[in-house]
Amino acid sequence: MGRAKAWLPWFGRSLVEHVVDQLLPVVDEVIVVTSESLDLPALPARVVRDREPERGPLAGLRDGLAETSAEHVFVTSTDAPFLTSDFVARMLAVGRPCAPVAEGHVQVLCAVYPGSAGKDAARLLDAGVSRPLRLLESLDFEAIEWSGGEAGSRGSVEAPPWRGFNTPEAYLEGVRSVDPDASAEVELLGRAALRVEQTLRRTPVGTLGEVLAVWPASLGLIEDGRVARAHLASLGGRDLVRDLRVPVGPGERVSILDALAGG
Amino acid sequence: MLGFHGCYARIDLTKGESQRIPIPDEVLARTLGGVGLGSWLLHREAPFGVDPMAPEAPLIFSFSPLVGTGLTTSAKFAVVARSPLTGGLCDALASSHFAIAGKRMGVDALVFVGACEEPSDWVKGRLQASRSWGRTARQAAFALRGEGEVAAIGVAGENGVRYATISADGRHAGRGGLGAVMGSKRLKAIVVAGECETKVADPDEVARLARSLRERAAGDSTAKYRELGTVGNLLSFDRLGALPTRNFQQSQFESAEALSGERLRKTRRHRRASCASCTIGCEHRFGYQAGDGAAAEVRVEYESVFALGPLCGIGDPDIVLAASRRCDELGLDTISAGATLAFAMECRERGLLAEGPRFDEPEALLGWLDAIATRSGLGDQLAEGSKRLAELVGGDAIDFAPQVKGLELPGYEPRSLQTMALGFAVGTRGADHNRSGAYEADFSDEVDRLHADDRSVRHAVDSEDRAALIDSLVLCKFVRGAFEDFYGECAELLRAVTGAHFDATSLRETAKRIVDLRKAYNIREGWRPESDRLPARFLEEPIVDGPAAGARLPAERLEGLIRGYNLARGWSPEGRLSGEATTRLFESLGLDAPAETGALEARSPEASAEQRCAESMTEWTR
Repeated sequence: MGRAKAWLPWFGRSLVEHVVDQLLPVVDEVIVVTSESLDLPALPARVVRDREPERGPLAGLRDGLAETSAEHVFVTSTDAPFLTSDFVARMLAVGRPCAPVAEGHVQVLCAVYPGSAGKDAARLLDAGVSRPLRLLESLDFEAIEWSGGEAGSRGSVEAPPWRGFNTPEAYLEGVRSVDPDASAEVELLGRAALRVEQTLRRTPVGTLGEVLAVWPASLGLIEDGRVARAHLASLGGRDLVRDLRVPVGPGERVSILDALAGG
Repeated sequence: MLGFHGCYARIDLTKGESQRIPIPDEVLARTLGGVGLGSWLLHREAPFGVDPMAPEAPLIFSFSPLVGTGLTTSAKFAVVARSPLTGGLCDALASSHFAIAGKRMGVDALVFVGACEEPSDWVKGRLQASRSWGRTARQAAFALRGEGEVAAIGVAGENGVRYATISADGRHAGRGGLGAVMGSKRLKAIVVAGECETKVADPDEVARLARSLRERAAGDSTAKYRELGTVGNLLSFDRLGALPTRNFQQSQFESAEALSGERLRKTRRHRRASCASCTIGCEHRFGYQAGDGAAAEVRVEYESVFALGPLCGIGDPDIVLAASRRCDELGLDTISAGATLAFAMECRERGLLAEGPRFDEPEALLGWLDAIATRSGLGDQLAEGSKRLAELVGGDAIDFAPQVKGLELPGYEPRSLQTMALGFAVGTRGADHNRSGAYEADFSDEVDRLHADDRSVRHAVDSEDRAALIDSLVLCKFVRGAFEDFYGECAELLRAVTGAHFDATSLRETAKRIVDLRKAYNIREGWRPESDRLPARFLEEPIVDGPAAGARLPAERLEGLIRGYNLARGWSPEGRLSGEATTRLFESLGLDAPAETGALEARSPEASAEQRCAESMTEWTR
């Protein structure tokens, strides 16, 4: 992806903010488990650190569940923009461990676990198990067959609530499925800004390479398949990149800086 | 060794005596010039524990082997002394004809000790009553025109403002209060001129290398400085949540566009200029309307605009440009002046100061600068810098005083530029963007600038080493991007100039040695591991606004980075040089290791150096 998923833009906020906003109306508390190396935006949630991020999601589940005394806990990944409050409420209403199943696949990161399952997760990890499915299976979970889409906050969508992104293309496809006209803007700063009258242009979302095409090639922003050495691209003011394959999200501003910033 | 004169002049202003003291070739080879040689001289000449503004404290002007060679940007000199602001070693550079003329006096450095009985100018060896005391450095230089090249202080230096500058050709040795050291000696101006050429080993090769560097320095690697100058940083920093605003309470400024280099270029009268011997021409001068309505002009750098603008919450370009010019005239370091005022503004906002500057009174800024330079009213306390002011204010004020080791932070938000945060913490001078270019890593895709890790350590060490070398040669850092093989090419230059053997490996060692030497001075003068610390604000509060909102630099993360840095330097985890390393360092430089006596003896001079000194000897008397 080339960028932290939690920070990917999703129609006016980051993905993690969007997901937390979906959870808040239907739960008592939101706990976000994140790695030591990733800072998150200010969230109406408790943030705990994943002690062993290299051991996968089960270790994160262990650390998150250890922080709660709730009877049941809904667990989701960060890159789940199609998750809705209604769906979470319905899942919690089952009143026992449960997970949606689609085409035979159990969606372990869109499921309800007992709040006390942290120690079960720890036992499995100690035994060398790292798949969350084993935890669900050990809890005698209820499989809920997924039967199709539901109304989302931005209109009717077909996407299932656990749908995430592992590639820039998948993310951009998800964005366009919500708003086919989603756009970003590209701003020229520094030397490049001296060469044009208007320094800001709007463009459809796309990869960095696609959105930079809004400016003429004569500006020399791209060189050898990357952002030119004389420049650097800032995405939303956070990520500094040269890789043209990274995605630029809806409402995001790309700023083209002089590479020798500072000094 | 060619390229050097092999001696320095020790000028005792109290006694009115001058003495030429040989410098062994091996010391020159191992310290080069500029900040390296200046640091060696400070070890040698400064009594242990000397008050920076006592007569015994030396003030050192250090030249370099490349001065006068025609290499682009080589007309630079270093000023070195114990800083009245930090108490540690301070070295500041300036570019001007002063460097060329100073070296032509037949010495590699001028070391001033003692103090004049009355305000004086030192004019090529003679002391004379100054007619410019109470006037600007520019006026002092004008009064001495025709005598030679001039370095002078403004009113701030005369009044012992702890962040006063020394200026030459309108450029400033700006940081750390060296102007106050000069003022404490009642020395208004120093005039240098001479006829002593330095021979180089291979003039044709020097010319070839100079031509090659000049051609490369005309390319993309310096285009930013030529076309826009450093003020081009401002809007970019704003977009990255890295523009310190209102004493680091915010990381973006609502009026950044108005102050940006891009806007100034499009809307203001503009012209470019160059320092002596420079082909880059980074100096961008912009027109503005002075308070009396008259059209005026000022050289604009990012640091001045940031410190007197966003940091103080001021978005009116006319006020900011006028304040920058006023600092030039008064001889004030714009960064420390702006940061101390911004700190006082926040103190006022919090009710910790009953009177004083306010964020919402931009029109009062120039008056506060005058008050600082003349130490009038509250200006007397503001002239002490933010750390001492915080101690005076008391309470938790020190937690948000924007300084490290007493030196005010430049315009880089450390929570969103965390490799630079490490550079600030460990900097010998204090929070410093000139002796550590660690921000280069932050402005790249090589580290996570919002969450530093081990990669930042390597960048911090490397950039500090490169700075130590380039500041000792001395070349302008703006030419750094023109080198393809920095250490190898620097060795080539030195071989051609001196005829001595230098290679990339030996220069890497030299760079580390210079860093060690500077650290050793600070240890000698009371550095402690806790000196390498950022104010609590940066370690306890996240950024609250802009794209970097939420970015944190927890104390334990910074401590881990510092530990990694110290180990990478071969120091103890706490940052101390081992006894063995210290002995080796001092022995290699002919200095006695720090001991109770503080006696530092140079090795016996070589005959050739002595002879060269004798040839260029001038009678320097009062």
